[in-house]
Amino acid sequence: MSDAKAEVKSQQKISAKAWDENAVPRHRIQWCPGCGDFGVLAALKMALTKLEVTPHELLMVGGIGCSGQIRNYLNGNAFHGTHGGALAYALGAKMANPDLKVITLAGDGDTFAIGVENFVHVCRRDPEVMLIIMDNGVYGLTKGQHSPTYGRGMDITEWSEESPPPFSPLRLAMTAGCTFVAQSFSGDPKHSAEIYAEAMQHRGFAMVNDFSPCVTYNKFNTYDWYKERVEEIPAGHNTSDLNAAWELLNDFDRREKLPLGVVYRNPRRKKAAKRLPIWTEDLQKANVAPLFQMFR
Amino acid sequence: MIVNKLKLLIGGVQLRDGVVTVTDLLGRILTRAGLYVLAMERGYASTIYGAHQYDPLVIDEKPPQSWGDTALDILVALDYDSNPDAKDKPNRDTVLRHARHLKDGGVLVYDSSTGEIPTDALVRRGIKVFPIPARNIARDELKRDVVKNVVTVGGLFRLLDFDRDMTHLTSLLEERFLRKGREIIDLNLKAARRGLEVVESVLSAKGWADVGYRLDPRPQKEPMLLLSGNDALSMGAIAAGCRFYAGYPITPASAILEFMEEHLPKYGGRALQGQNERESIRAALGASMTGVRSMVGTSGPGLSLKVEEFGVSGMTETPLVIVDTQRAGPSTGMPTKSEQGDLFLVAYGGHGEIPRIVLAPATQEDCYSMMIEAFNLADKYQCPVFFLTDLNLSEGRKVVPESVFTKHSVTIDRSTLVRAEDLRRNGDYRRFQVTDSGISPRLVPGTVGGVFKITGSEHDEHGFVSTDPVIRKAQVEKRLRKMETYLKEDAKPPQVFGPTDGLVLIGWGSTKPVLLHAQQALNAKGIEVGVAHFTHLWPFHTAAAQPMLAKAKTLIAVEGNFTGQFADVIQTYCLLPVKRIVKYNGLPIYVADILGGVDQILRSTTDVVRIGDAAPTPVKVSEGD
Repeated sequence: MSDAKAEVKSQQKISAKAWDENAVPRHRIQWCPGCGDFGVLAALKMALTKLEVTPHELLMVGGIGCSGQIRNYLNGNAFHGTHGGALAYALGAKMANPDLKVITLAGDGDTFAIGVENFVHVCRRDPEVMLIIMDNGVYGLTKGQHSPTYGRGMDITEWSEESPPPFSPLRLAMTAGCTFVAQSFSGDPKHSAEIYAEAMQHRGFAMVNDFSPCVTYNKFNTYDWYKERVEEIPAGHNTSDLNAAWELLNDFDRREKLPLGVVYRNPRRKKAAKRLPIWTEDLQKANVAPLFQMFR
Repeated sequence: MIVNKLKLLIGGVQLRDGVVTVTDLLGRILTRAGLYVLAMERGYASTIYGAHQYDPLVIDEKPPQSWGDTALDILVALDYDSNPDAKDKPNRDTVLRHARHLKDGGVLVYDSSTGEIPTDALVRRGIKVFPIPARNIARDELKRDVVKNVVTVGGLFRLLDFDRDMTHLTSLLEERFLRKGREIIDLNLKAARRGLEVVESVLSAKGWADVGYRLDPRPQKEPMLLLSGNDALSMGAIAAGCRFYAGYPITPASAILEFMEEHLPKYGGRALQGQNERESIRAALGASMTGVRSMVGTSGPGLSLKVEEFGVSGMTETPLVIVDTQRAGPSTGMPTKSEQGDLFLVAYGGHGEIPRIVLAPATQEDCYSMMIEAFNLADKYQCPVFFLTDLNLSEGRKVVPESVFTKHSVTIDRSTLVRAEDLRRNGDYRRFQVTDSGISPRLVPGTVGGVFKITGSEHDEHGFVSTDPVIRKAQVEKRLRKMETYLKEDAKPPQVFGPTDGLVLIGWGSTKPVLLHAQQALNAKGIEVGVAHFTHLWPFHTAAAQPMLAKAKTLIAVEGNFTGQFADVIQTYCLLPVKRIVKYNGLPIYVADILGGVDQILRSTTDVVRIGDAAPTPVKVSEGD
């Protein structure tokens, strides 16, 4: 057992309340009243508590935008860099220290517009990282410009280069080789929490697209709009069958419904990885002489 | 007879003719024979196959001062059919390009498989010409085209009266190919012997006893290494404790990625080929955030893509070593040509004011030792540390005694990392604590008793986002105060050679050897000149440089770029006028360039000398005219 894991185990089980320490106090949270991200925050705390994660072993990487602020609204280590970069920082962190619980929290613009290059390849690389996308169809922080998921369910017959149709995050994930593809709705945090918990236990990259309405800038995809359309995936769905997953999405589309739950889950066999050495005493042990000898 | 002192150039068609195979073979053998090799001017093209490639080697029994000048003692042309402009004489490409640099009395070896080429003009200059039908020998006699360059190597052995019994060659071949079977070794040795025989027959036909050059093995007192700047800096990084490397394929930095992929796992580390330049640097920052010493390497175009993360590293105070093996820009520029054009990019690139350190090693030895320094500086100052090499230094190979590396003591200073016991002792942990030095304690995630909040947005001491004017002021000052601390505690002044009260040549990075070589040549001409060479470029150490440079009568910066970027930095910080000798045509700066430039400036004809021909140099080999 590695040092970090031993440290983790030595730590006492923490209470749900502990998630409010080392965090911005609730009354200073800068989300609009009714923001879908509150639901994500509540669900995330539930899932972390259920899985007995401790704040010091948690690393949250936040995207740019309202959604990424969530990292400061609960206890745990947090990193926040460039727009579109969150998954790549998370990838490096998890590769460096597999003992950390790494989760990435970002919006649909961050993940599917400026950060799509990272999303696609992280699906392939499959690090044990959970990504929650707070999908609201707009860039809220910059006052409501359209994101790649804008237009969901809208009855638009003519499109333009300026205003293209939305694309499907779940299908992109499956095409790119994501091994855990799920969807949740922040209007139902208890159900979301179950999905997050499953995603965090997945031995690979787990993507959860969470419908998280922007109450200020998206007047179409509202809570009520989602409530009429979301539907839990039937219990008999075979999540490990990729064809069944595609068929499920097609079926929901035909019925103009939005699936909630795990659409696809199929963990890969992966090489075991160890925490990379960091302390001077470990690094100084390295004998580099054999490297020189190659050049004789 | 010239013994153990010559410059030899091997040229041919990229990939097919195996130019680098020959120089690698020769270089390795000469190294083991106790001679020094310096090969810093390799010319190749950004194609896989077909372009002209060449690789000049300076060979000496003492460490060569620099690559010197273009003048050649021996020219070896491996190509037999690559000049489409001369259908009747298709094997003249290398000769047309390089024979004009041959010294009078030098030696030309070429592949005569497609016929003899006109060399009367060369012969009139006393150049001894050796046509070797190497391709034909390999194809027709040995039935293996690929050994044609070994035929030529054998010929060289006879010419230089070196390893004629093939002892060195045999042991090297055995090392490399014994696993693949004896036949390959025998085939290569046979090829070498055939080349030797051909040269022998030319010598006897011409009645020459020798060619005026000879290489004598020297006793090797200690193991010597033949290695490139990229090799040295990669090993320096591993020795320094780098355990995460990320890169995206780019010339001339790909060799670092390949080295790290092969060797880093043996040291418990990981090397990642990013899907793009941004994923590379972001993943490296992610790894560094967890406490792992991390590095990325790239060249100009890749660095341009990474610029956004300079600010992330600086603002989040996440250490990162960033190697920039400069090549000629802008845009794609000339991927296979060297330049010193990225100084402003690393010193100023990115929005806002980013604390950062720029180091520019001068030699392969520096690439190793300064890399260890780079990692300690990155840890201490928690900012990007740029390691500015260039194509010539990165890919250039040189013989260095192994002891230079093995005796270099490696210090790994990670004292800015806090441990669980520190947290227990000190209580409230603040990642961005305001301190006199500007340096704050770094927490490794996973440490019991503490969490960090890190962000590229402005933040308070705890890392929570803030735009409060008082907090903003304190944090900006804290971050940039680290650079003052760096100047006080760690920045190194320029290295000074010779008197500094008259004419002083200023250089940075890889030009040091040629500056010192030019200094010697100028002194020999009776022109006294000092050299100030900088490796610690940024933040600029005004206090160390200004008083010394102010004493000089004339300052001349010698740089591989158009503007004289470092000259501008000196003018800005030292308030001293700096004249310039600049070169940006893709070729290395030669001793003659500096002599000519100094001469022009001393005759007061100009303040800026731009090296290189304005019009194409006519390349002519006599057609027997």
